[in-house]
Amino acid sequence: MNNTVTDTDQIASINIDQDKPHEQTVEEIVASLGDTVGETRVDNPKMSCTGVDVFYADKQAIFGVDLDIGENEVISMIGPSGCGKSTLLRCLNRMNDTIPICKVTGKLTLDGDDIYDKKTDPVLLRARVGMVFQKPNPFPKSIYENVAYGPRLHGLSRNKADLDDIVVTSLKKASIFDEVKDRLDQPGTGLSGGQQQRLCIARTIACSPEVILMDEPCSALDPIATAKIEELIDELRENYSIAIVTHSMQQAARVSQRTAYFHLGKLVEVGKTDDIFTNPRHELTENYITGRFG
Amino acid sequence: MSTEERTITQVVEASIKRRYAREKRFRLYGLIAILASLSFLAMLITTITYRGLPAFTQTFIKLDVTLDQQTLGVNDQPDIAELRKANYSGTIKNSLLTLFPDVKKRNDKKALYKLVSKGGQYELQRLVIEDPELVGDTISVWLPVGDDVNSYLKGSIDASLPEKKRRFKDNQIEWLKTLESNDQIAQRFNKTFFERGDSREPEMAGIKGALFGSVLTLMVTLILSFPIAVAAAVYLEEFAPKNRWTDLIEVNINNLAAVPSIVFGLLGLAVFINFFHLPRSAPVVGGLVLSLMTLPTIIISSRAALKSVPPSIRDAALGLGASRLQVVFHHVLPLAMPGILTGTIIGMAQALGETAPLLMIGMVAFIVDVPTAVTDPATVLPVQIFQWADLPEKGFVEKTSAAIMVLLGFLVMMNALAVYLRKKFERKW
Amino acid sequence: MKKFSYEGHTAHQFDVELNEVKHKVMNMGGLVESMVHNGLEALLTMNTELGAQVSEDDHRANQYELDIDEDCTRILARRQPAASDLRLVLTIIKTISDLERIGDEAEKLGRISVKLSGEADVPHYYKDLRHLGDLVKTMLRDSLDAFTRMDVESAFRTAARDEAIDQEYATFSRLLISHMMENPRQVSHALDMSWCARSLERIADHCCNICEYVIYLVEGQDIRHANLDDMRKKLL
Repeated sequence: MNNTVTDTDQIASINIDQDKPHEQTVEEIVASLGDTVGETRVDNPKMSCTGVDVFYADKQAIFGVDLDIGENEVISMIGPSGCGKSTLLRCLNRMNDTIPICKVTGKLTLDGDDIYDKKTDPVLLRARVGMVFQKPNPFPKSIYENVAYGPRLHGLSRNKADLDDIVVTSLKKASIFDEVKDRLDQPGTGLSGGQQQRLCIARTIACSPEVILMDEPCSALDPIATAKIEELIDELRENYSIAIVTHSMQQAARVSQRTAYFHLGKLVEVGKTDDIFTNPRHELTENYITGRFG
Repeated sequence: MSTEERTITQVVEASIKRRYAREKRFRLYGLIAILASLSFLAMLITTITYRGLPAFTQTFIKLDVTLDQQTLGVNDQPDIAELRKANYSGTIKNSLLTLFPDVKKRNDKKALYKLVSKGGQYELQRLVIEDPELVGDTISVWLPVGDDVNSYLKGSIDASLPEKKRRFKDNQIEWLKTLESNDQIAQRFNKTFFERGDSREPEMAGIKGALFGSVLTLMVTLILSFPIAVAAAVYLEEFAPKNRWTDLIEVNINNLAAVPSIVFGLLGLAVFINFFHLPRSAPVVGGLVLSLMTLPTIIISSRAALKSVPPSIRDAALGLGASRLQVVFHHVLPLAMPGILTGTIIGMAQALGETAPLLMIGMVAFIVDVPTAVTDPATVLPVQIFQWADLPEKGFVEKTSAAIMVLLGFLVMMNALAVYLRKKFERKW
Repeated sequence: MKKFSYEGHTAHQFDVELNEVKHKVMNMGGLVESMVHNGLEALLTMNTELGAQVSEDDHRANQYELDIDEDCTRILARRQPAASDLRLVLTIIKTISDLERIGDEAEKLGRISVKLSGEADVPHYYKDLRHLGDLVKTMLRDSLDAFTRMDVESAFRTAARDEAIDQEYATFSRLLISHMMENPRQVSHALDMSWCARSLERIADHCCNICEYVIYLVEGQDIRHANLDDMRKKLL
């Protein structure tokens, strides 16, 4: 009797399983995306990712990304929310180290040196690869102190005059000096949003980095402040390599030379910004930049 | 369209009226609640002030005391020890008898002696020890009056009652009137209350001992709990890996904050006194026990303060290449300081008002001397209040209220300090 | 070959706008097609009324151009289209200017028919235009089809036919020259005929342009001024 009951149960359960529509897992979808479309490599890479996987605990957030960031180029990373673009950006200066469950595999290099090597000091790395965040986050200190913090930390100045010089130069490079020169001793938090963000950029420049990572730097700003930052990014390109994550496709189109499109943790397509925005080759890229995602 | 059908606007209008009415009612309840609590507070403060204020004044009686060798029972060249043991009460009694020579009966004499406080002899003793030359002279001194006189003068004894039902008899009133007419009675600020330790005589009892005990205990508590709690909070919040162990620790800290304080007293008794053999009734043990009690409070509030520091600040500092320790000490801790300090002061205020655990470690003993070191036997303000509240003498009722006023004053001061510190650190953006 | 769709935007209104403007282009295409047909008919049958009709239709075609231009400007300003949407709008803007020119050429045919109908002894050989005209009409229809269906394959095929039409035009020109030599009195008529043939040849060129736009729209590759066969091999 017992056997019979079990058998029917099994049959019933099988039937239920068959009735359910098969839901694709993220891994299956990623596998179906195929290889990255377009040129992932450039002639003169500053930073380079090869087969980078990122896991948050058991969940894989980035799947085998190959990507170069060239010297003096602005590369923008676009894609829907949760596509891993910010995660990858944070891997580039090891900001993900602070998240204990985050694990990065694959090879990431800066000037050919593995940045996840045991010998690489994340503190030094972050001085070479600066970061600007989504929300303007000046320290609750004076404008001067904000900019002077990094150089002081790394001992970049020998004396006060040196430090003054670094602060003024950085503020000038971030094209905010004229607006704040009379109030360097006033709190950085008292500035407007756009000024705060430029102050943060000045603060990053003060550490004389080689690469600047920007995580949606304009998402909290009004259009005019945004335009100023974009103008600034264009000027900074002469001296730095810049990687920018943005939700605004227009912004990516305006500021970057190359654009990378991410989807569910996979680098779907990368190429010249001009090509991506007139004639993307992957259907998903096309759908994303023409606004066809729900 | 039928007229019965109401338009949406009408429906909404009707409900809006109800909504506003509900809102008004709710505001009214809130107002009533606040008024009720305010009136309770006002009641409490007025009762305590009304009862306690008399304790800040004291009545003195002016007597011409003859310090003759015979009555004092000392020889020609008395040393300090002898002067200390001398019979000063005899000289006071003599001087009273000279004032009222008619008093012959034993009972009447006793009643007469009660006019002057037993503390009067200590006052004389102090004077004589300061200046041994006084022996043999007749001096005119102001001495504190007895408890019953104080009560009578402050109106706590109803003179209209029949004589048998009151402690203060007719002949005593008589004598007092005589003294008053001779300008030998005066009301003065009660310095004794702030200058002396505990005493069995209400007119001689002061809170200095308890106050110092409290200060010493709190100092020990602060020195122990603040660094430990902040270090623990910083470690747990900024450095500890998030795993089962840290969860366990967190749960336990939260539980500790809810443990009844008397349990900490038992722990202190078992560990610090019985195991480590630290002195009983000492501020150091009190401080240790209160540290245990305030630690969780400070840790929890410090963690909350650390948590409230926006992560963007941490990111910014990390992104500039600061190490995690630098991030904490340059940015996170300064920003969290106001919160941490507030938590600490609230914990301290809690410790200041704590009685139960201190009873367990013997700080309830009757201690006359003012403590000067953390190992001296001492008592603390709330325990002193608890003790005085238990005593039958009329004078202690007002002393209790006065001590409560002092305690409340200290609490208000500490809270004001908390507010001030918070404002000051916040000003630094 | 890529699949092409201008629908499925998250902003549904965008779909509607693109659809509307594309419909207008198709209507304009239909109008222009009928103009070419009528112009040719008027010429071949000496139908003055039909010729005048074509002139009137030309105003409508011009109006279409203005309308569609305005729509496209609005879409560019408000939607900032990218990728395929951008290409679609660009293609439409270019296509309508070609369509408008085709309309102008058709109007020329109509005008000449009106002029010729008033004159005596019109030579018989103008009937030889019919063959050229038929070829051009088919080519126009196929280009518009290719545009409507976004069909790259058919666009390539249609564009390739331009060569045949050029040859036909050359043949007709030679025929006219021999006629003019035989009959010097009818040179002025022959010149009119030559103008008509020229118009038809121009229409075929515009059709060829439209086909190239369609290929650009779908493939994202500009094939103008490139070898058609090479591009075809590359893309298909």
